[in-house]
Amino acid sequence: MDLRFTETQEILKKMARDFLTTECPKTLVRKLEQSEKGYSPELWKKMAELGWMGLIIPEEYEGIGYTFQDLVVLLEEIGKNILPGPLVATITSTFSILEAGSEEQKKELLPKIAQGELILTTALLEGDGVFDASGIAVKATSKGDDFIINGTKLFVEMAHVANYILCVTRTKDGTSPEKGITLFIVDSTTPGISCEVIPTIAADKLCEVRFENVNVPKKNILGKIDEGWPIVEMMLRKGAIAKCAESIGAIQTCVEMTVAYSKERVQYERPIGAFQALQHKMADMWTAMETSRYLVYEAAWMESEGLPCAKEASMTKAYVNEVYKNTSKWAVRLHGAIATSADHDIPLYYRRSLASDIAFGNTDFHREIVAQKIGLV
Amino acid sequence: MDLSLTDEQKVRKQEFDDTCKELEKKKPPSFVGFETIYEVDECWEYNLYCAKEFAKKGWLALGWPPEYAGKGDMMDRVLFAEARGYYGIPGVDIFGVQMLAPTLLQAASEEIKREFLPPIARGEVMWCELWSEPNAGSDLASLSTTAIKKGDEYIINGQKTWNTGAHKADWGFGVFKTDPTARKHHNITFLLHDMKTPGITVRPIPYLDGHAPYAEVYFDDVHVPSKNIVGQEHEGWAVVNLLAGFERSGISEIMSMIRGLEQLVTFCNETKRHGQPLAKNPLVRNRLAELACELEAARALAYRVADLQNRNEMSLMDASAGKIFFSELGERCAFLATDILGPYGQVKTSRWAPLDGLWERMFHDHFITTVSMGTNEIQRNIIAWYGLGLLRMR
Repeated sequence: MDLRFTETQEILKKMARDFLTTECPKTLVRKLEQSEKGYSPELWKKMAELGWMGLIIPEEYEGIGYTFQDLVVLLEEIGKNILPGPLVATITSTFSILEAGSEEQKKELLPKIAQGELILTTALLEGDGVFDASGIAVKATSKGDDFIINGTKLFVEMAHVANYILCVTRTKDGTSPEKGITLFIVDSTTPGISCEVIPTIAADKLCEVRFENVNVPKKNILGKIDEGWPIVEMMLRKGAIAKCAESIGAIQTCVEMTVAYSKERVQYERPIGAFQALQHKMADMWTAMETSRYLVYEAAWMESEGLPCAKEASMTKAYVNEVYKNTSKWAVRLHGAIATSADHDIPLYYRRSLASDIAFGNTDFHREIVAQKIGLV
Repeated sequence: MDLSLTDEQKVRKQEFDDTCKELEKKKPPSFVGFETIYEVDECWEYNLYCAKEFAKKGWLALGWPPEYAGKGDMMDRVLFAEARGYYGIPGVDIFGVQMLAPTLLQAASEEIKREFLPPIARGEVMWCELWSEPNAGSDLASLSTTAIKKGDEYIINGQKTWNTGAHKADWGFGVFKTDPTARKHHNITFLLHDMKTPGITVRPIPYLDGHAPYAEVYFDDVHVPSKNIVGQEHEGWAVVNLLAGFERSGISEIMSMIRGLEQLVTFCNETKRHGQPLAKNPLVRNRLAELACELEAARALAYRVADLQNRNEMSLMDASAGKIFFSELGERCAFLATDILGPYGQVKTSRWAPLDGLWERMFHDHFITTVSMGTNEIQRNIIAWYGLGLLRMR
């Protein structure tokens, strides 16, 4: 057992930190929130040069071939700084292609993803707003060499700028909701697709995507027909850990900013950080951060080693969701009025805590998985 | 980041598990929770029996240097603590094995080490800690029990309190004021003494459930050889801080709660309410799952503390955070379990008590971890002052 980062990870961490500090100041974060695209193509290009989109893509597909753990180290730094854009959407979609893609699909897409030439996203949720298979009603019907997709997907991250949408569809009504699910790699320029950005708390460009008689060639099926749900489960599992990696970075920033401010802000002739009412709250924030951090590292290690970790991933997401919301909430509270202002950086994190909570399954969704995994009938 | 065990560690883990599983079969029925060893005679006998069994295997000296008959390393200590916690096995004296021994190894003279370490390793001598006083709790350095040097002896007078297991222990380690004129923190000496020394009176104190896990100890002209000192005279505060640094990672307590949760899951699967298993109640599912998440978080942090200890890079902050987290998780476990058990949650060990009355017991036992070894409020101060660099209270 050794919980330290490897040398590679330390280098990756430092590079990411330096890059983000210079290239992604909070002024840019705010600008991107207001922008139509929600990301900066220039920054995206520079990230590609650093190899971020190709980090988890094997070298044979022109990626860097790093591990899942390494990705977690990068995402933690990104979370500390905040980096709006389609990185997580692209990487988690890439996981599905790595896991289930045919050799042809991999050869076609992965090198381009690694080069930063493609943005990907996954269209999972629908009107029901549930993360399990029962929510999938968008239909794909076979017609000759094509499938025709009809229906509406919701909360699809960055779909308005994505080149490909991995669409989770129902191709058959099976004996259980998990049966009869098929994933398609859909070119977003295909006629019949329309997209609208939903206004959300983190301004993170979640979209409504409507499919009206969208023709997708059979060769664009990802994995096996009717047997796509395990791919979704894998994507949710890895996505949950990845999201938590971002979150622990954000939590750290909230703790650090609060501690620093409490040392500067003077009331009653002393820094407010000298008061135990605040000290104990900050100690609790720090404790929650540490428990979250090592939970994420544990899940990331298991995922990297290929160990079964559905339980640990869900435990991590369910736990970190709550810690991020609460820590950023207390960061606002301890700062006081100043941090309720849109000009302050803490609200950037607080707003994102809810977006992070929901992405890849909220607390109750993951607790139900945990309930099953600990053996409740 | 690597949480894997080596092949050798896996073998030893299996040995720890197997041994504890065997010892579990010999538990007396009155043994409900670790504190019962101090309260019920047959549980104390069981504690001594387990200690002897562990001593035979050299497991009371895990991580000690070989010249003191040490065996294995710090990681073995973690794996052993996990097994004992999961199966709820006593036999590792918190005060002698877990606190005093590592302190002696770092701070005591060769003579003291040679005299006191072997009986600890053999599981022969049980220890108690004599720190708190009626007017010196969290502010321990304000203690007033004196040890005045006279020839080659110290003469101790005063009173200690909240001394867990003092009525059972053979020896005690305490801190006493040796220089009434010197300033605070530089007037205290750390001494070892036989609990049978004339002048010592031990009075058990009933805990809130009426049992007596702890005692108060009176000193009336108690003569202690001056050679029984650890560290420098008047500089016992440094030894106190050193010993407090051997904070347990909490891994035993966490594993014990994980076992408790497993038993609760079985109970919920097998017990029907409103015509269906309790396990089908969405609220029960959600709350048990929440607890399971927190237990995993506690375990992850305990590994972090252990990982630091393995490299002698102890972080005071992480140890304090771990202590706060696992002890308060104990409260939440007890509140949740007694809630789920309904009217049965209040029942003491008896034919009406589900799960042997464990949760009624836990409903009050959790204070032992939140209040002792530095209250959680003191732990929060440690994080705030020494970790986050915030201004100290004056």
